[in-house]
Amino acid sequence: MLSKFDYVKPKTVEEAVAFLENNPGTRVLAGGTDLIVLLRRNLLITDHILDIKGIEGLHRLDYKEGKGLYIGAAVLVNEISEAPMIQDKYRALSQAAGSLASHQLRNRATLVGNICNASPGADLSTPLLVYNAVVHIEGPEGKRELGIEDFFTGVKKTALKKGEIVTGVSLPDVQEGDSSYYKKQARVKGHDLATVGISIRRTSEQETLMGMAAIAPTPIRLRELEKKLKNRDFNEETANWLKEEIKNHVKPISDVRASLEYRFLVSGALAKKIMMTLMEEGVK
Amino acid sequence: MCSTAKNKGNCVEYTDSGLPKIAIGFEVNGDRFEKHVDPTMTLLQLLHNELKLFGTKEGCGEGECGACSVILNGKAVNSCLVLAAEADDATILTVEGLGQGNELSILQQEFIKYDALQCGFCTPGMLMSARSLLDRQPNPSDEEIKEAIAGNFCRCTGYVPIIEAIRSAATREREALI
Ligand SMILES: Cc1cc2nc3c(=O)[nH]c(=O)nc-3n(C[C@H](O)[C@H](O)[C@H](O)COP(=O)(O)OP(=O)(O)OC[C@H]3O[C@@H](n4cnc5c(N)ncnc54)[C@H](O)[C@@H]3O)c2cc1C
Ligand code: FES
Ligand code: FES
Repeated sequence: MLSKFDYVKPKTVEEAVAFLENNPGTRVLAGGTDLIVLLRRNLLITDHILDIKGIEGLHRLDYKEGKGLYIGAAVLVNEISEAPMIQDKYRALSQAAGSLASHQLRNRATLVGNICNASPGADLSTPLLVYNAVVHIEGPEGKRELGIEDFFTGVKKTALKKGEIVTGVSLPDVQEGDSSYYKKQARVKGHDLATVGISIRRTSEQETLMGMAAIAPTPIRLRELEKKLKNRDFNEETANWLKEEIKNHVKPISDVRASLEYRFLVSGALAKKIMMTLMEEGVK
Repeated sequence: MCSTAKNKGNCVEYTDSGLPKIAIGFEVNGDRFEKHVDPTMTLLQLLHNELKLFGTKEGCGEGECGACSVILNGKAVNSCLVLAAEADDATILTVEGLGQGNELSILQQEFIKYDALQCGFCTPGMLMSARSLLDRQPNPSDEEIKEAIAGNFCRCTGYVPIIEAIRSAATREREALI
């Protein structure tokens, strides 16, 4: 490893922010499953590592009726995939968490690390998109909140400014009858980012929300397609229509994981499968 | 890997950064340690280079293969992606801590019985993933066993004997409790 870094582990967010502000060459460490790999490959050089896991408040994971779900920045992906309440209320999030890497990785990886890393294929991005998640940020200028769509600004780029950290993510509460599903296609199960990742949510008001990963420079909501689905029932005809129509709404790229043509095909196939599954469960 | 000439007997290649060391205290397999570690050192390097515990293996060094799996504060993790400094106050279990004295654990015995290893390189990691599975689910389904070892690559056995060994160890461990 070429990086020569020291290691600091603050106890409060204020300390963390102050350190970041005063030490420009600092990298935040959550689970390290992205960061340590980059450091070991010498693709990233850093002077200081700031471990946020010593900040107690960042371990918060709770659900309050009427308020929704809060996931602190140090909450592990496994904690999310194993929480019965998340499985029950925010199923796509639970499924995406369970599909990330391996058990050992999920015992280190955090949801917030996943979105801060901002890979176009980040597994946990699409459920957050369909649940209109809010990113909680703290920095030298104080606290602010940002919608998840505005948080991703490019490949591996986020809206975080100098000295800022993400303290957590919140998801608004959901009504009875709200349902969602996540599917991903990857080269190797358990060991890869998605070649296509997709979450579809149908609210109790029959509104459809769709989030996709790995088909654009950032994870995206398919807002135009959502509008077209507004007055359609979930049935086999709609599912077949969706399979073709979705291709007009994604802009995939060819890369090491898959070709553009393959991504078009997979997008349609996965979207149809999800709709059929939801239908079979009684979603209209 | 373990070339004595090149690494002066230390299994994992490691260059000290020369930066001030960090004092940490932790427990490995029931033994308490106090060490001053380099901030750029990983937990795997700490186990090999400082504690001379060579059971845990380094395959990829990047979280892909699971050969370096250990149980850190009750959770199976890839020790190649954990900094040694993060192990302050931690309780760690490695493959060396599975048996008691000269007696192998039930899990290890079943791995032998079912021929669940050939070259043996993946075995310490497999055992730790299996240990962690049986700790949280004493009666796992085959699906749960497969999911638990999905992050452990084996290039020799074809996995089937490993799954059988874990299934059988689960049964024996449950029986031992009665
Ligand atoms: C073998 C392997 C398989 C993988 N498979 C998948 C997969 O299937 N799907 C997938 O989506 N990802 C996968 N990943 C990537 C990675 O595991 C995830 O992105 C993970 O969620 C990152 O979380 P972390 O806590 O480990 O982040 P870290 O590595 O700690 O951090 C990631 C980045 O975010 C920054 N950061 C972290 N927390 C904060 C914060 N609170 N505020 C500001 N910045 C912060 C860090 O500085 C760093 O730049 C894989 C990685 C490996 C090594
Ligand atoms: S050496 Fe750690 S996962 Fe391969
Ligand atoms: S026994 Fe050789 S890699 Fe598994």
